[in-house]
Amino acid sequence: MTLNLCVLTPNRIVWDSEVKEIILSTNSGQIGVLPNHAPIATAVDIGILRIRFNDQWLTMALMGGFARIGNNEITVLVNDAEKGSDIDPQEAQQTLEIAQANLRKAEGKRQIIEANLALRRARTRVEAVNAIS
Amino acid sequence: MSTSNLSTRVISKPSIHESVSLSFRSQLNPFPVLDPTPFSRTNVYQPSTLPSIQNGIRELRERIETVKNTKKVTEAMKLVAAAKVRRAQEAVINGRPFAETLVEVLYSINEQCQLEDVEIPLTAIRPVKKVALVTITGDRGLCGGFNNAVLKKVETRIEELKNLGLDYTVISVGKKGNAYFRRRPSVNVDTTIEREYFPTSKEAQVIADNVFSLFVSEEIDKVELVYTKFVSLIKSDPVIHTLLPLSAKGEVRDVSGKSVDASEDEFFRLTTREGKLTLERDRVTGLKRTEFSPNYQFEQHPAQILDALMPLYLNSQILRALQESYASELAARMNAMSNATDNAVELKKNLSIAYNRERQAKITGEILEIIAGAEALM
Repeated sequence: MTLNLCVLTPNRIVWDSEVKEIILSTNSGQIGVLPNHAPIATAVDIGILRIRFNDQWLTMALMGGFARIGNNEITVLVNDAEKGSDIDPQEAQQTLEIAQANLRKAEGKRQIIEANLALRRARTRVEAVNAIS
Repeated sequence: MSTSNLSTRVISKPSIHESVSLSFRSQLNPFPVLDPTPFSRTNVYQPSTLPSIQNGIRELRERIETVKNTKKVTEAMKLVAAAKVRRAQEAVINGRPFAETLVEVLYSINEQCQLEDVEIPLTAIRPVKKVALVTITGDRGLCGGFNNAVLKKVETRIEELKNLGLDYTVISVGKKGNAYFRRRPSVNVDTTIEREYFPTSKEAQVIADNVFSLFVSEEIDKVELVYTKFVSLIKSDPVIHTLLPLSAKGEVRDVSGKSVDASEDEFFRLTTREGKLTLERDRVTGLKRTEFSPNYQFEQHPAQILDALMPLYLNSQILRALQESYASELAARMNAMSNATDNAVELKKNLSIAYNRERQAKITGEILEIIAGAEALM
């Protein structure tokens, strides 16, 4: 019995095939999903999704959304998702530094909130790249 | 000798077209045998109000070249726009699974949550004091009345809001809208966002973040989205939809609160039939609401989950509007360039006729000169 994973973004379908196991980061911590998991619905935080596929672990950076785990059918709806192999490490590092600089410069509640979100996204991307190596 | 005069005139460049016509007429006068009216008629047209056709031969030739090049450009632009329309459609189709699943999930969670009293900030209905209008326009011109239609709609809406006594602000997306509002300082513009080449979810995220923060911080009580809906390749409508507050069921509502959900959407495909571009439609049956759905256990409190869902929904709505606007812009550009190409063809035809007429008149005149000169010698 394998799980069928579907990762959807507004732009395209990022992943649509069978996997053995996934580890998802949610607002209330990380959860691992094996086949025949109980059906749950959860919010997904800005973080890393690990997929066990052909006895290999793949990482994907998710930018927040929602996940629904049904009868061996997992649907993840996120604003944006990037496979770890698709991210350029230098570019991700640079984005992280820019985001950190922006956070230091931010003033006012609205800007701080936006800067924080951008920082978390950048950090997730850097982690996704590093996790493979 | 008149013939030598004639030859020198032919070689020299006529600087002003009047000088050509005048010298021509002066050469004709010594030959009353010929009826000069056909040629003088063309010359009489010269000082008329329409300077378009009756220039000198050289100018006509140059104009024909220019029109030919312009026609090539407009034709190329039309084909480029046609190719991009297909890509825009594909993007809409790719975004469908996301949007459908989202609405399904929203629906089922709402059903399960109906017993509890869940408060979600994005659906909060407050007494409206200030309205934000998100205007989506294009970046480049040469697309017919596309941008103007949207901007006119915004202006009408602003008038309506002013009459109702409500305050408003404008968030403009797209260079054309930005330039327009920059020239009208009477309209309050909150932010202007530049569009990227192709509508992406990152871009939608930027707008969504902006709108989200304005709404949640209670600076704005209602957000309306003004964009062009793609009806067909020839027709597109600027519409206004209410973006925030979101309806709990995830329906799309227009300004007066009526639901204008696209339950039966059409797919449009640009194909060729007999060498001409045609539009084919496929209808999509409405969402199949699965009656059977396992009772999901919520990992977190339903409020948190809905909190995570609403921004996704907001994002997908904005992205959908951007994509439809982009497709309408491409269709408008295709039409405008197609009309321009047709006009260019017609103009070239008229110019060619005038050019040939002038050329033949000149040749006939030369022949007459030579014959008359030969006769005079004999």
